[in-house]
Amino acid sequence: MLLSDLRVGDKAEVTGLLADSSVRRRILDMGLVKGTRFKVLRVAPLGDPIEIFFKGVYLSLRKKEAAGVQVQKKGDVGDGMPIGSQRSRWRFGS
Amino acid sequence: MTALKEVKVALAGNPNCGKSSLFNALTGLHQKVGNFSGVTIEKHEGYVDYRDYRIRFVDLPGTYSLTAYSPEELVTRNYLIENSPDIVVNVLEGPNLERNLLLTTQLMEMEVDLLVALNMFDEVQAQGIEIDVKQLQCLLGCHIVPTSAKKKQGLDSLLDHVIRVYEKDIEVKKNKLAFRPELDRAIEQITELFSHEPELGKYNLRWLAIKLLENDKEVYNVVRQYPAWVKIELILQHAMRETEAVYKADPEIIITEDRHAFIRGAMQECMKLPRDKKQSPTDYIDLIVLNRALGLPIFLFVVWVIFHMTFTLGTPMMDGLDHLFGALADTVTSLLPNDTLRSVLVDGLIAGVGGVLIFLPNILLLFIGLSFLEASGYMARAAFVVDKVMHRFGLHGKSFIPMITGFGCSIPAIMATRTLKSRSDRLATIMVIPFMSCGAKLPVYVLLAGAFFRPAVAANVMFGIYMLGIVFGLFSALVMKKTVLKSESEPFVMELPPYRWPSLRSVLVQAKNKAMMYLKKAGTIILLAVLLIWTFSNYPKNPELDVELDRQIAVIEQTIVDEEQKAHAIVEAENKINTAQLEYSLAGRAGKLLEPVIKPLGFDWRIGIALVTGLAAKEVVVSTMGTIYSLGETDETSSELKTILKNDPAFDQATALSLMVFVLLYIPCVAAVGVMRKEIGEWKSVAFYGAYALSAAWIFSFITYRLAQLVV
Repeated sequence: MLLSDLRVGDKAEVTGLLADSSVRRRILDMGLVKGTRFKVLRVAPLGDPIEIFFKGVYLSLRKKEAAGVQVQKKGDVGDGMPIGSQRSRWRFGS
Repeated sequence: MTALKEVKVALAGNPNCGKSSLFNALTGLHQKVGNFSGVTIEKHEGYVDYRDYRIRFVDLPGTYSLTAYSPEELVTRNYLIENSPDIVVNVLEGPNLERNLLLTTQLMEMEVDLLVALNMFDEVQAQGIEIDVKQLQCLLGCHIVPTSAKKKQGLDSLLDHVIRVYEKDIEVKKNKLAFRPELDRAIEQITELFSHEPELGKYNLRWLAIKLLENDKEVYNVVRQYPAWVKIELILQHAMRETEAVYKADPEIIITEDRHAFIRGAMQECMKLPRDKKQSPTDYIDLIVLNRALGLPIFLFVVWVIFHMTFTLGTPMMDGLDHLFGALADTVTSLLPNDTLRSVLVDGLIAGVGGVLIFLPNILLLFIGLSFLEASGYMARAAFVVDKVMHRFGLHGKSFIPMITGFGCSIPAIMATRTLKSRSDRLATIMVIPFMSCGAKLPVYVLLAGAFFRPAVAANVMFGIYMLGIVFGLFSALVMKKTVLKSESEPFVMELPPYRWPSLRSVLVQAKNKAMMYLKKAGTIILLAVLLIWTFSNYPKNPELDVELDRQIAVIEQTIVDEEQKAHAIVEAENKINTAQLEYSLAGRAGKLLEPVIKPLGFDWRIGIALVTGLAAKEVVVSTMGTIYSLGETDETSSELKTILKNDPAFDQATALSLMVFVLLYIPCVAAVGVMRKEIGEWKSVAFYGAYALSAAWIFSFITYRLAQLVV
């Protein structure tokens, strides 16, 4: 599954990177390495880019770039809404 | 007094880590802004005298990493290698430690004399985050000083530590990060091979080895000329095969993963988050600001506020400066006799300096606004909101604000493109901006539309002109991104930093620095160009015309008795002679020379002159036309000029439309060209742009003129 296939509120874990050279490097440097868990916070008002959250970082990326990140979904749909009580069950970056 | 000992310190850190605030807090007003050699990346330098030392700081660009992919990162690491500062202070954003440490690990790899400033420590405490500083010091092998640039805490302690590291009172341990065994082995082997090459002395050999495994192009270019390269290549290939076989990933990924693994370990040992973590204010603010329905309206409102702040507030100041220089010119005129010196001073120098200074209020106001948006964290969100639209035209979300600013004035707008990090995005945005109808083009539109169209139609004509500019500008961006600027496309992977209330001081210092930069660099080009255009429109002089004027005035003095009529007649005579002088000057000849070229657009030589002098500033088109039609001082509301134009057989609706289109599209004023040159960094692109704008102007005016002739 790819990061770009996720919906708002999904939680997932990075399993690999498909993107190449500069895009891949940027994604790696921002901390989206294998094993990083994140949630999809929102989509921009016009439908692109998207915003994800992990380890205290709010990161936005275009869907084109997001399609270069392989992920595995974790938790239930809606688990990772931007603000909600679910959060205490499951902490990021731990 | 003994001489102060100089200590060179470089500040490195992520974007938004408070590095610049710390720099400002440390150095106060002892700073200057320049560029790193060869690139348009700002270099802030400053110093502070502390005890017996003069500590010189260089604020390096904010980076997340030290790869060769972005110019900022290259500049940072090249600076560290070439200038070998005595100490590198790595500024960390305390509340966001984990992400910030990636850069720290890479600085450790370079084995520089490192000192860590754990910035925003007040926020760390406020959020209830516990950091075991001692333990972290052990892991990183360097001293850590908690600071808060905003509250000015820990600054002296930081300076103390800088001096102690400088005097070798504190040892920097230079711990080595361990990678997976396959890679560590390769690193060791390559380092050993490098150690036989004395020329690589300025580099840290282990760092070179790591970078080679990371597939770093710059390092590759440095080392491949050495004989050892043959062996190294084999080691690299071997390492590649091994990691692919064992971990199914190339060394570059593994190295970054290992860095992150080290960081994660360090975090688990040294940092404790509060048990029941509250939602941060950022979460709540973004729930509204980035809301799917509200995001766009809020963004447009912010842009509207910035625009009004810059121009509604700035225009009175601009007028004030204008009057000030007008008064100065009048004073000088009254003090000096009517000769060349006076003309040079008044029409050349004072007008030129005035023409440069007049943009200062706008630039200051715009940059106060933009610095605030940037430092508060909203700028990244603005880009997030509009990126989709801008991306369609090959631009970046951040291009929007400079583009809109272009409707006021191109100069601050072009300078505002500095918020764009990628050069190709910046170039494309800079080239769109002049097509946005700026405030100085408005008088031309008002005059022509007002003269040749009914009020209701005139409004539509003006709207059409504005739209043409926008559409053509975006179209140009698209074309350029698809052709000339194709190779360098920037990925959109951008952090949305947590919201912070920026310090007033930081915002003001930044605005001041921008203003100084404009005055120093662009100002000189602009001043020169204005003087040049002044010379063109004044020389060569026809002395016979002066004699003629004196003769006419003498006649008037004798024949007309009534004082008022006399004055009027004299002004009329002067205007006629001025027109003749303008015709005789280089600008006038250029206008005549141009006539065959602009004839198909419906323009005669008089419009040619106006277009040439209009290069000084677009509103000059109106005043030149006033001079040519012998009216003296004129502005767009002058009904006299309107009437004259209307009755001129060479002028009709088609000509008016054609002229408006031409003024919209042709080369921007010299001030804008000067700033463009400054921001792009080379004349070639500016020249290309000028040619592009001119041909576009000609073609569109031609089409407009012919179509209008058919319709009207």
